[in-house]
Amino acid sequence: MDLLEYQAKELFREVGIPVLPSQRIDRPTDLKALRIPYPVVLKSQVSVGNRGKAGGIRFVENTIDAIAAARTIFNLPISGEYPQVLLAEAKYNTSQEFYLAIVIDRLACRPVLLGSSDGGMNINTMLDRIEQVVVYDEFSSFYARRLALKMGLQGDLMLAVSEIIEKMYLLMQSQDLDLVEINPVGVDRNGEVMALDGKISVNHHAVGRHPNLQPWRVVDNVRNRLRTLSPLFTDVGNISILCSGNGLALAMLDSIAQGGGKVAQCIVVDPACGEEMQLALDRLGIYNQDLVESSTLDVLLVNLVGSETDSFQQIIQYLPDYQNLTIVWRVLANDFDRLAGLLPLSIKLVTNFDRAISQTLAIAKD
Amino acid sequence: MPINLQPDSRVLIHGIDNPLALAAISRMQIYGTNIVGIIIAGKGGQQLGDLPVFDLVEQAQAALGPIDTSLIFVPAYEVLDAALEAIAANIPQLVIVTRGVPPLDTIRLLRQARITDTLILGSGSAGIIIPDRLLLGIYQPQLFRPGKVAIISRNQSLTAEIASELNQANFGQSIVIHIGSDPLVGSSCRLWLEWLQSDPLTAAIVLVGDICWDSEAATAAYLLAQKGKPVVAYLAGIHASTPHPLTDAAIVLSHTLSKPIHHADTIQQRIETYQRAKISVAKKIGQIPHLLKKLGSKA
Repeated sequence: MDLLEYQAKELFREVGIPVLPSQRIDRPTDLKALRIPYPVVLKSQVSVGNRGKAGGIRFVENTIDAIAAARTIFNLPISGEYPQVLLAEAKYNTSQEFYLAIVIDRLACRPVLLGSSDGGMNINTMLDRIEQVVVYDEFSSFYARRLALKMGLQGDLMLAVSEIIEKMYLLMQSQDLDLVEINPVGVDRNGEVMALDGKISVNHHAVGRHPNLQPWRVVDNVRNRLRTLSPLFTDVGNISILCSGNGLALAMLDSIAQGGGKVAQCIVVDPACGEEMQLALDRLGIYNQDLVESSTLDVLLVNLVGSETDSFQQIIQYLPDYQNLTIVWRVLANDFDRLAGLLPLSIKLVTNFDRAISQTLAIAKD
Repeated sequence: MPINLQPDSRVLIHGIDNPLALAAISRMQIYGTNIVGIIIAGKGGQQLGDLPVFDLVEQAQAALGPIDTSLIFVPAYEVLDAALEAIAANIPQLVIVTRGVPPLDTIRLLRQARITDTLILGSGSAGIIIPDRLLLGIYQPQLFRPGKVAIISRNQSLTAEIASELNQANFGQSIVIHIGSDPLVGSSCRLWLEWLQSDPLTAAIVLVGDICWDSEAATAAYLLAQKGKPVVAYLAGIHASTPHPLTDAAIVLSHTLSKPIHHADTIQQRIETYQRAKISVAKKIGQIPHLLKKLGSKA
């Protein structure tokens, strides 16, 4: 779960990471009751990056300008996303900007502290100067100082930055974060440090055990749980895939692409869950004959091999029988014998992966 | 780290919260797995089928004697506790079947396991099967046949598909190891490759899916091949994008920086890692048995 900037900053404030005075703006007229002195910065609260370049960040000097700017930002989609909320924040004059982040390195199975003395918008120079410190054992402050020193900082500034890193780590640990990032950390002429922008990703498996994060959580129902994998090249395809695992889905997408076929949709389900099966068929757009006739779909390739199901009877009830849709169902040899007599003609059973793919391709190209 | 996969090794079940647990327990018992007891906190003193139930691992240990492996099925947020409890009771091997364990819990667990030299399979592991000898976990044994090809995987469904392909080409399996589907896992592909070097049952190895793409693991695979146990890899996903690609720090970082690296790029990089280590990469599933034959596998 990715938090918006204002949510990230609320968490920063709680752990004592310095942030500017700010106010959440739900509608342009909220700016009449602004408690922060002008000039202020208005920032679009969307989950995608590059807000500044897209016009989602504006400086304003007075209420009239602010309301006009807020109207513009509320109506400005950034990568297709309209903000629900803006953040009004005091302006800060920086003389230096740094990049700080903590992520989990999957290979090392350890948290990694990342820092660059060149933060802000210039990603390439920032990446060139990125420093890493792997936290091998229990975290202690020296890891933070080690990073700040590697970034080339000294004296009080080194201590101030390492204190921020330490607090970021505490936040990561207490809230189960996959990522906490401050870009940039601003430093003013007096050497004061400030988190000017923040990004936080909460681990989606762990979010359930943090009651404080629940209000920000997007509803996680079965519909959201259902995994859809998309083909890399988004042509309109005439083959859809229903299968029981991510790895299997990728293998089928690859094989069909290699054979010159085009996939419309690929959905991964747990076949033991009736609700998921029903939703998957809804999403494939094959729950009634009219839809199938009007769609480009010619073949549905089903592969539930290896899944926990003894109830092929159950699956049959979900598979529709339409004249202009062929279902190619890859089954294991022992299931073939059980199923062969039970199925309508529109369902073709195949007992080998590559043959299932080649039959699917043959029908799709017909 | 000693690994005990003897057919008579003694197995404890920890938790039956996972809907797969009860079916898996009866399948394992039918297969001959020596399950000695079950841990369900609050149900100590009861029986589940013919198995005694205990509140604590140490109570089970005291009543039943030493245990070789604990199979953990508790809910994701309780996995760390269950695993630390097993480690405290000196159980040397843990198979964590539960998926979706929070990464920071896994990091804490792995730090402890390193100190105690405990073998951890998973989290999100379907377990291990040595056909006709040992079933540990949730695999359906009818998918596999005894033979000489080892499979290391982190995709349960894809493993079933590849085992079926091998079976049709008369390549049975010496062992099937599922290292876990969660982003962070305990025992690595590399560790198992090193173990397979001296496994007398194994004559060739198939690597399935998104594993072993770091250079150290690739080196381990290379060494195996040099010692006459050919390694064939199959990687899926060149033509697909996934919403949550498995990532390492650099890739997470590049996502963060709005410079996304496409999943396919990383798969391509992984294939190149294999190729640098001179490991054969199958372009499609049906090619795996052909590559095994071509490499002169004695399987």
